[in-house]
Amino acid sequence: MANANEGPQRICMKLYAAETGIGDQVYVPIFQEWIRDQALDGLVLFDVADYAHVPDSPGIVLVTHEATFALDRSDGRFGLLAQRRVNGKGDAVDTVASTLRQMLQVASKLEADPRLGGKLEFDRSVIRIEANDRLRAPNTEEGYRVLEPVVKKAVTAVLADKAPKVSRVPNDPRDRLAADVRVAP
Amino acid sequence: MAEEIDEFEAQMGLRKQEKIEEKVFAELRLRRGAYGQRYDNGHRYDGTRTQEIAFPRRGLTKGPDTEFDAPGMQRIKIPFGKMTAEQLEVLADCAEEYSNGILHITTRQDVQLHFVDIEDTPDMHRRLGAVGITTREACGNSVRNVTGCPLAGICTTEEFDISPYARAEFLFLLGHPDVQDFGRKFKISYSGCSGEGCGRAMMHDLGFIAAVRTVNGQPEHGFRVVVGGGLGPVPHLAKELYAFMPESQMLPVSQAISRVYARLGEKRNRAKARIKFLVAQLTIEKFRELVDAELAALEPDPRWQEWVDQAEKAAQEFLPAPVTNDGAKPAPGFEEWASTNVYDQRQKEFVAATVNLPLGDITSRQSRKLADIMRKYVNDALRTTVDQNLLIRWVWRQDLVSLYNDLYEAKLVLSGAGTITDVTSCPGTDTCKLGISSSRGLSAELRARLEARSLQFDKTLKHVQIKVSGCNNSCGQHHVADIGFYGSSRNIGAYKVPHFLLLLGGALEDNAGNYGLAIGAIPSKRAPETVDRLLDLYSAERLDGEMFRAWVMRVGKKAVKEKIQDLMEVPPYEQDKSFYVDWHDSREYSIGDIGVGECAGEVITLTEFSIASAESKLFDASITVDDTNATQADLQEASRQAYLAMVLASLGLLKTRNPDAKNDPDQVFEDFKRLFIDTKLFFERYIGSQEWPYFQAAHEAKGASRDRDEARRRVEEAQLFIDASHACYARLRQTTVGGSPAVSAALPS
Ligand code: SF4
Repeated sequence: MANANEGPQRICMKLYAAETGIGDQVYVPIFQEWIRDQALDGLVLFDVADYAHVPDSPGIVLVTHEATFALDRSDGRFGLLAQRRVNGKGDAVDTVASTLRQMLQVASKLEADPRLGGKLEFDRSVIRIEANDRLRAPNTEEGYRVLEPVVKKAVTAVLADKAPKVSRVPNDPRDRLAADVRVAP
Repeated sequence: MAEEIDEFEAQMGLRKQEKIEEKVFAELRLRRGAYGQRYDNGHRYDGTRTQEIAFPRRGLTKGPDTEFDAPGMQRIKIPFGKMTAEQLEVLADCAEEYSNGILHITTRQDVQLHFVDIEDTPDMHRRLGAVGITTREACGNSVRNVTGCPLAGICTTEEFDISPYARAEFLFLLGHPDVQDFGRKFKISYSGCSGEGCGRAMMHDLGFIAAVRTVNGQPEHGFRVVVGGGLGPVPHLAKELYAFMPESQMLPVSQAISRVYARLGEKRNRAKARIKFLVAQLTIEKFRELVDAELAALEPDPRWQEWVDQAEKAAQEFLPAPVTNDGAKPAPGFEEWASTNVYDQRQKEFVAATVNLPLGDITSRQSRKLADIMRKYVNDALRTTVDQNLLIRWVWRQDLVSLYNDLYEAKLVLSGAGTITDVTSCPGTDTCKLGISSSRGLSAELRARLEARSLQFDKTLKHVQIKVSGCNNSCGQHHVADIGFYGSSRNIGAYKVPHFLLLLGGALEDNAGNYGLAIGAIPSKRAPETVDRLLDLYSAERLDGEMFRAWVMRVGKKAVKEKIQDLMEVPPYEQDKSFYVDWHDSREYSIGDIGVGECAGEVITLTEFSIASAESKLFDASITVDDTNATQADLQEASRQAYLAMVLASLGLLKTRNPDAKNDPDQVFEDFKRLFIDTKLFFERYIGSQEWPYFQAAHEAKGASRDRDEARRRVEEAQLFIDASHACYARLRQTTVGGSPAVSAALPS
C-alpha cells in the first residue's frame, strides 16, 4: 500500500460549470479588485493573465504566489482550474487539501459576485484532480496507487464526505495522471 | 549540458544563502534564459495605489530589485525555428507543469513560458536538454537565437536552403569563448534570398543573405554579409560588410566580427552597446578593416569546414508517400484557410501549412495534438516563424484536406496567416517589465475587429501588416510593418493616458529593409479607430495596385497625419474615463498616487506647452529626413531642428522651476544640466540616462550632422529625449498634488 505522504506537490484541480454566456473579460475587473483588496485568505494575489483569445485555453487567470485560478476550457469543458504553483509547506495530502480549500473559496466568491448575475454555478459533486508532475507522479498504475490515497485523505479532510469515490480518468498516457472525485452532495 | 545545469542549480542554492552577489546571479540565470517578469520588484499598482507584494521570502532576491519568489519568464531557443514532434511534446509538458499551459512563440522564433518559479528551472532545463533543446544564452549579453527563414528549403525564391548553415552558426557560437564578453546581446539571422522579408537580415546585428556566384563555370554558395542593423529605440538598417563571402568563410567571419565587437563595443553604457552603434561610430569601412585583420590573425579551426560539410546532409522532412486517399470531405472553412495559410512549395507535390496562432499562443493540449498531426503527415517538419506562427512543411498535396480536418479538430485552423488580421505583438504590459502600454490587449482587439471586417478586404488590403510593441524596444518589430505601434504614455491634465506611437510605411520586403515613418502618438483606445480610418483612406486613395507603403510615401506623412489628427485628441477624464484605462485591464492607467479629485480639470501648463512645441518641431524635422529628395542643406536644417526640439523639451522642464526661463539653447543646456542632470532629477531607473547623452551630443555638435543617417538618428534620439521629458514631468507632478508651483517647490534651488 502506498504511503499517503508520497505523491505530487504540484497539483491541478477543476470544478466544472455550465457556460454562462457572459464574455470572459468580465473576470478581469473582478480579479483586479480581489488583488487590490487581497481578498482571498492565505493567498498572495498579484496578477491577472489573459488568454481569452486562444480557443480552449486557460482564459482569464488570477495569479497568486501559491496557485493560479483560471476560468478554463483547456480540456474542452468550462470550469475553474486551480493549479498549485509552488510546493506547499506540508506533505502531499496537505498540499491537495489546501489547494482544494483555496479553489472552493474562489468558486464561492465568484458565484456570489453580482457582475455574474447568478449565472455561474459550479458543480461540486465531481472534482477533477490532476498530478501536475510527470517526474514524480507519472501517468501509470503505480502513479495512481500513490495518488489515490492522497486524494481521498485530502478530500475527506476538507469536505464532510467521509468516503469520497475516487476513480482514475482514462486519458492519453502523455497527459497528466488524473482522477475524478465524486462527493456526496 | 547536464553539468552546466547542475552548476546552475548549485548557484541558485548559493544565492538563497546569499553567498553569490545578486547581480552576478542575475547574469547567470539570464544566460540560462531565466528572465524577469513584470512585478518581480515586489510592487504592483492596483488602480489606486502601489502595493507591496507579500512574497514569503521578501527581500531574498535573484537579481537587483528582483524578488526571488516572483515568477519569471523562461526563454527557450529554437534555432532557425526547427522543432521536432518530440520537442514540441516536451515543451507542452513543461508549459503545463511549470507555467500555465501556454507556449508563446516570439518574433525571434523562440518559445517563452511565463509565470515560472525559478526553483523549477533546473528540472525544466534537464527535460528540455534531454530532447536537444538548450536555453543556454537565450538571454543576457550573448548570441541569441539564430533565426532563419521558416520556408528555407521549400521556398520558391531562395538561392539555397540556409537551414544547415544557421544550425552550424548556432552550434559553433554556443558557448564560444569569443562571444562571452559582449556589452549587449547579439542577434544573427539567415535569409535565403534578398527580396523577401522572412529572414529580416537588415534588422539584425549580423545577417547572412544567401547568394550564388559562378566561378569557372561552377556555382559557388556563399552569403552577402550585413552588419549593424537593429530595431529598438534607435533603429539602424544593417550595412553591407561583404558583397559575397564563400560559405567556407561564414564561421570565421562570424568569429572575427565577434572578436571586434567584444574588444571595441561599448560595455558601460548599455544604451550604446549594441554593435550598430560601434559600426556607426567607426564607419563600415573601418569596421571591415578591423574584421579583415581579425580574420587574418585567427587560428584555423577545423570546425569551420566540418560544419559546412554537414550542410549537405540535411534530414529528409517528408514521408515517403501520402497517407490519405483523395476525396476526404473538408471541414468548414477549408477554402478560406487554404487561400491564406497554404504555401505551394518549390517541390510541386508538396505544400506547407501555417498554423496561425493568435498573439503567438498555443496551449499544451493543442501542442500535443499538433505533435500527433506532425507524426501522421510529415517527418519532424515544423518551424516557428517570426510572425509568431507555426509552419508545417512538406505536406503531400494529396494529404492537405485530411491535415486540415485534423487541425480543425484541434482548433488550429485560424485563417488569415500573414495577412492584416495576423497582428504581431510583443508581450507588453501583460508580462514584460518594460512594457508601457498593453500591446497584447490592443492586438487582441485589432484582431477581433479586423476579422469581423475581413470579408470586405481585397487582396491588397489583406496584405497590410500590423505589428505592435509595448515600448520602444521594438520586440513586436513595429518598424517593419505597414502600420506599426509602440507603447508610450502621455499626461492629460493630472492623469496619465496609455498611448501608442504610430509608424507608417515600414516594409518586410528586402529583408526588412524599410523602416516606417513616425506619425505621432495616438491614445491607446483610439488605435483601432485609427487603423480603420487609415484603411479607409488607403482604400479610397490608392492607385491601381498601389501597396500601403507606396501610398504613404506618395501622399506623405504630413497629409496622412492631418487626416487622423482628430484621433490624437483625448477627452477630459470627467468626460470619458475609458481613455485612462488600457486595453483588457480595469485599473486606471497610472503609476503614481495622484490625488484624483484635486488634479482634475487642470489647464495646460507652460511645461506641457513647451514639450508639445518640441514635438511639433520634431515632426517637421522627421518629414525632411524621410524625404528622399531632401538636399544636404535640408538635412542639416532637420538635424538642427531636432536639436532645438530637445532644447524646447528641456525648456519645458525648466519652466517648472522658473516660468520665465528663456529659449536660449546655451542657457537652457547649462540650466538643464545643473537642475535636472546634476541633481539626477531627469533619471529614473531605465529612463533618462540613455536620453541625456543624446541631448549632450546634439548640443556639442550644435545640431549639425554628417549625413542623412546621422540626421535621421538625431531625429529619433530627439523623439526619445522628448518621451523621457514627458516621463520626468509626470514624475515631478507625482511628487506632489499636481500643479506647477508645488512642482517648483519640490525642486532644489
Ligand atoms: S517591446 Fe518593450 S514591452 Fe514589448 S517585450 Fe520588448 S521590452 Fe517588453
